[in-house]
Amino acid sequence: MLFLYLKKLNNIMEILLQLIYSGIALGMIYAVIAFGYQLTFATSDTLNFGQGDALMLGALVGLTLVDVMQIDYWLALPIVGLFGLIQGAFVERIGVRPAIKIKSEFGWIMSTIALGIIFKNVAENIWGRDDLRFPSPLPEAPMKLLGANVLPMEILVIAGAILMMLSVEFFNRKTIYGKAVVATFNDRDAAKLMGINTGLVITFSYALSSMSAAFAGVLIAPLTLTGATMGSVLGLKAFAVAIIGGLTSGMGIIIGGIILGIAETTTGFYISTGYKDVPGLVLLLLVLAVKPAGLFGKSAIKKV
Amino acid sequence: MIKGFKKSSMIAMMLSASLGFAADDIKIGVTGPYTGGSSSMGVSMREGVKIAIEEINKNGGVLGQKLVAVERDDEAKNERGVQIAEELINKEKVVATVGFINTGVALASQRLYEEAKIPVMNNVATGSILTKQFLPPEFPDNYIFRNSANDSIQAPMIVEEAVVRRKYTKLAILADSTNYGQLGKDDLTKALAAKNITPVAVEKFNIKDVDMTAQLLKAKEAGAEAILTYGIGPELAQIANGMTKLGWKVPMIGSWTLSMANFIDNAGPGGEGARMPQTFIQDPNTQKRKAFIEAYLKSVKPKNGRIESPVSAAQAYDSIYLLAAAIKQAGSTDGKKIKDALENLQEKVEGVVTVYNKPFNKEDHEAITLNIPVFGEVKGAKVVYAYEEDRKKGADLRLKQTKK
Repeated sequence: MLFLYLKKLNNIMEILLQLIYSGIALGMIYAVIAFGYQLTFATSDTLNFGQGDALMLGALVGLTLVDVMQIDYWLALPIVGLFGLIQGAFVERIGVRPAIKIKSEFGWIMSTIALGIIFKNVAENIWGRDDLRFPSPLPEAPMKLLGANVLPMEILVIAGAILMMLSVEFFNRKTIYGKAVVATFNDRDAAKLMGINTGLVITFSYALSSMSAAFAGVLIAPLTLTGATMGSVLGLKAFAVAIIGGLTSGMGIIIGGIILGIAETTTGFYISTGYKDVPGLVLLLLVLAVKPAGLFGKSAIKKV
Repeated sequence: MIKGFKKSSMIAMMLSASLGFAADDIKIGVTGPYTGGSSSMGVSMREGVKIAIEEINKNGGVLGQKLVAVERDDEAKNERGVQIAEELINKEKVVATVGFINTGVALASQRLYEEAKIPVMNNVATGSILTKQFLPPEFPDNYIFRNSANDSIQAPMIVEEAVVRRKYTKLAILADSTNYGQLGKDDLTKALAAKNITPVAVEKFNIKDVDMTAQLLKAKEAGAEAILTYGIGPELAQIANGMTKLGWKVPMIGSWTLSMANFIDNAGPGGEGARMPQTFIQDPNTQKRKAFIEAYLKSVKPKNGRIESPVSAAQAYDSIYLLAAAIKQAGSTDGKKIKDALENLQEKVEGVVTVYNKPFNKEDHEAITLNIPVFGEVKGAKVVYAYEEDRKKGADLRLKQTKK
């Protein structure tokens, strides 16, 4: 009797563990995309709403490199990163800079969304409209970890997310460029007077943001399928993660991702798969109501 | 006013005469998603239409006129479908329209055709209610026809395969949250109930979902022996991939979308063995089918010589021949006359799916009956006959059986 009970308990734990694993893996997919939102917000108070499309472009460029040009996955990563840098700088110069220049509050929203749509259409013309398979650089068989299954690729995504978090924090806190970024965020005019080329800092942050998105695209593509429309839903979920975690905290993105991911899988299993997106969105509303800067965000005090 | 009208119509006549275009062509609307998750069906459909039209025009056209396809991308969006219907009816003045991949788009757009008295031949969409939107006595005439296997045929076939042929009793249903998935889920539940079976789990997923752990664990914990699916390729592939991840493999049996190239490619080895009803399998076992497959491969040159969605292409091809026969019999491009001709087709229409002998009548607008589709299986990244006896008899055409 006790044995049966224990066996049942063990089974329940295994399921919970599996849900948590999958939730974390899913959350980290959102998190690696969410970093991009953070990087631009950190300098210019603006967001690149084409983040999902930068992700998609990165994944598709990566796919071409790996699948068509037969370049090794790991060697393709820096090339994709470089592509992201250029693409991000382009978005800033074309879409964001004019809006910032005239101190438009919302111009950049429309222009980044518009550029995102253009990128999607371009991608549809180059790579077609279908979802494609991205060959996995790691074995596709699952591994057993403490009684539940996890894919090697998921571990790579988690490692990638943590690496990105560490480099963002390191960059902001320890490097002179990072200090320039923080200064630009705190007071753009004062930073300018101090001799910081704020325009360049903002361009640079957009380049970095798209680079992280492109990198994220190649990282998650073997798990999510690759195609011109892959960024739409993922970009939105990542945005929710960035809001929940806080747009100014690297740690917040990781935690926000984990919370949203686990909320989705556990709600799907314990309540209903029809409602799995609800708790995450409720949480988003709660955070916005109670702590608008996000769980880990520093609320900026703006003196007018 | 009248003067002005005369003048403008004169100009219009001169214009059309000088361009020598459009006035003498029979325009057929072709609507489907050529972008997005269901585009492999849309694009194959468009190609099937093109091949049929080329053949017909080469043999002199219909009523001495050429057929012309007016292709529009509805992006699988309901509102876009409605816009296109308006454009095709009012601006392009099509004689009839073929297409509709997505049940939701068809449901939203068909009213316009019905009101304009322009026949629609659904050649891919499968929602059961599609042809029953405008039934008499409420509507005097129904302009909506179909030559694809509707869900009330597919669902019982899937259940028959799972319960009778393969003897599973514990079945989980996984369906997407679109009209297609949810209507299909209802049809499956109904068909299971007819065999006194309640599904052990009924789960939902969204388009673009990347994680299926919760749905699959629920099915697994409920002890499911097989998974019945209603969704489209990319998410179905995520289900197969999710099973690989959980290290839990039970057969997938589902609607015909399991034959989509984007399911087969993205699921890889995890998709092998999936079974689905098919009206057409890419197997050149008759002269007509051989010619069709060769024409398709020659014009599209798809990867690995595999038609992306053979069923869509074949049904689309047949839909044009059915319409052409009706226009010929009507001796006119008037919508009502074409509709009447379709309901009373004298000519036997030889298609690639089957030979259509009086496929429609006033009450019945479905060309495909339960006996026509066979079961296909994913094997070696291709869809083949699931049963050897079906393959052997593949060349014997399955003709429509009308219930008496």
